[in-house]
Amino acid sequence: MRAIVKNGVGMFNPQGFLDGNSAASYLSVEDIDATSKLNADMILVSLKRVVFFNRNGLDQFVKMFSKIRKTKPFTVGFCDYDKRKYDAIKKFYEKEMTFSLFKTQKIAELFSNGYNNKNKNVLIYSDDKSQRSAMAIELHDRGHNPIVAQSLQDFIEKKKQKGAYDVIIEDSYLGDMGQQVAARVTSNAVVYTVSGFLDNEISVKFNLEYHNNSLNVGFRLFIFDAFKVVSLNVHAANFFAKLASAAAEYNATICFVGLSFDKTPKAFKEELEDAGIMFFSKMDDILGNKELLADLGATNAAVIKQKRSLNKQLVSKLPKFIDAIVETIEMMTNSKAVKEKANVEKIIIMDESELLSSSIGFYGDIDGMIVLVFPKTIAKKACELLIGEETDNQDLILDSLGELVNIAGGKLKTLLTDTGVNINITLPRTYSCIDDTLEVVGDRKGVQVDLRFNHEHFIFFLTR
Amino acid sequence: MITKENIEQYIDKIPPAPKVVQETVKLLQQGELVRAANVAKEDLALSSYLRNLVNKPIYGFTNEIKDIGQIFGILGVSRSLQTVYNYLLNILSPDNWEFFKLTKSNFEMFQAELSTSWSKILEYLNVEDKEIESAVTLLPASIVVCEALFKEHKKDVELIRATKDMDLNIILQRLSGYSLFDICEMIAQKWEMDLKIIKLVKASSGKEIDIEEEILEYAKWMHLLLFYILSKPHCIEAGLNDFLEFNVEFIEDIYEEFSKVMGLE
Repeated sequence: MRAIVKNGVGMFNPQGFLDGNSAASYLSVEDIDATSKLNADMILVSLKRVVFFNRNGLDQFVKMFSKIRKTKPFTVGFCDYDKRKYDAIKKFYEKEMTFSLFKTQKIAELFSNGYNNKNKNVLIYSDDKSQRSAMAIELHDRGHNPIVAQSLQDFIEKKKQKGAYDVIIEDSYLGDMGQQVAARVTSNAVVYTVSGFLDNEISVKFNLEYHNNSLNVGFRLFIFDAFKVVSLNVHAANFFAKLASAAAEYNATICFVGLSFDKTPKAFKEELEDAGIMFFSKMDDILGNKELLADLGATNAAVIKQKRSLNKQLVSKLPKFIDAIVETIEMMTNSKAVKEKANVEKIIIMDESELLSSSIGFYGDIDGMIVLVFPKTIAKKACELLIGEETDNQDLILDSLGELVNIAGGKLKTLLTDTGVNINITLPRTYSCIDDTLEVVGDRKGVQVDLRFNHEHFIFFLTR
Repeated sequence: MITKENIEQYIDKIPPAPKVVQETVKLLQQGELVRAANVAKEDLALSSYLRNLVNKPIYGFTNEIKDIGQIFGILGVSRSLQTVYNYLLNILSPDNWEFFKLTKSNFEMFQAELSTSWSKILEYLNVEDKEIESAVTLLPASIVVCEALFKEHKKDVELIRATKDMDLNIILQRLSGYSLFDICEMIAQKWEMDLKIIKLVKASSGKEIDIEEEILEYAKWMHLLLFYILSKPHCIEAGLNDFLEFNVEFIEDIYEEFSKVMGLE
């Protein structure tokens, strides 16, 4: 069974009856491995469509959770259940519960490092005082406003205040939480979450290859969410200084948010500032300031100093790239694509009105990036299968466009693997304005293929 | 990926029910067991299917039964009819499964599990209705249809489903406008199956609630039974568990009774 990854949560959705015999068939180590490669920092099993489970059935998952936690610091557990199921799980495991329970996926996302929306007003209630405190701390650390009900009566009273809370947490339990460097994208900035004491381990936990490819795809602002960092030592400081110097090659900026220097030598801060790192006390100081975001390159990209040219190996795989994109769009739209012309040059976009675009990077045996430029009508049509209805909501279309490019990236990965070439793909980036796309790739040489879908042009651009 | 035209072509290619099967069904519906067995004997494939199926351990007969008349006699009218319909669906099922990890033999096993459990439920509900009893045989048609339509697109479906939590029924509906159960209905019409059977199987998708109360009640039992069988390890491993979305709310009010009938802990 494959997990669906959204907002950093990898969710498995078994259906029907879970007992000792069936549960083991739902989830395998391979399924977990595949999920861990999709930028999830939380692995959950939804019980929404499960009508029956027993202790033997859950044990199969719990054993798998322990295995996961031994190799990767994910938050693991169950979600999407009613009171009856919650009580049953608590009764089964009582004091041996190291996994988490989240009543809904929405509650789980609040605790994920990959969740973009901050500042949620969250009402918390648990009959266990230490759980109430643990949830409040975790939520506060993630930029939310937790309000704790101290008793059931208090909770009932507070719950009556309509519209006062974005999310209400009850019948939930926090087990061991994840502690890896998770990445998410917000306002076209990549946000990494770091916590605890930072030492030379950071170079192991941090996915440098992913970071470098995000730079190559056009991300220019990287924010370290460091609210939960206790302190850092000289090895970690050197690591971040080097990271900042490398980012400067791309005119990219690295920022730290919420890092307290109470237990860290002040000299480290100066050294890091000399390396070009900026410090902010609140996430909103950056993400809420559109002018600053523009200055830091999160809305458009600065000129890239380090240009790389197309190589023979990449161009030789061009048919696979075209196949992946064309097959994906054909599959999603049920319409045929016609290749019109292909040129090696800088990207040329004739009519820049009503266009949306998206880019995705890849790295491994070969590396580079793909940019797709769609007329809005094609983008809408292509996303209908994912959205389920026609919509003019631009954010929803851009979100689905990102998912579509992800599907195309997955298809490309499969097609290339068949020829013995292994790649990984980055998170997709979407652009509502074509000028932003041009700022990232306008100066780069690449292969442009003009395609026609339903009498409308669609541009595929492959570059490095 | 899959268009309305693909589906219409697929339906066009489905052969009508063979004459022997039509005649056997007609006689069974009239309660003419002996005459039905004599007709069924003329079709070697049908006779061989009946012998193979009925002698599977799930039917619980200790001695091998070879004679078709004897088979119909032991099964009775309703279950004989059910078995002949199972044969009809078996003609449609592929020799080599590609989308689902199934074989001809374990698909037959799946049919048999559904049929015997359905009989157990109807016995509990005290229902003696040939059409209601036979309806369960059309249910696996949704799986055969999925196999036929999606086998060329297995990897594409995996990619879509890694992005969005969508069952095959929704993907098909969004691409073509037809649901799996619409296609089952078209097959059933082609095979001239009773309208009651068609209505019940469509309602068992858990999506159609605007139907007669009696049919709705049986549809809940059928929906829950389908997922009870689909939760067995061999079905999960075959990829059958998530081809359709299980609607827990739909069956909530009958769950306790179902647990009793099936002897769940």
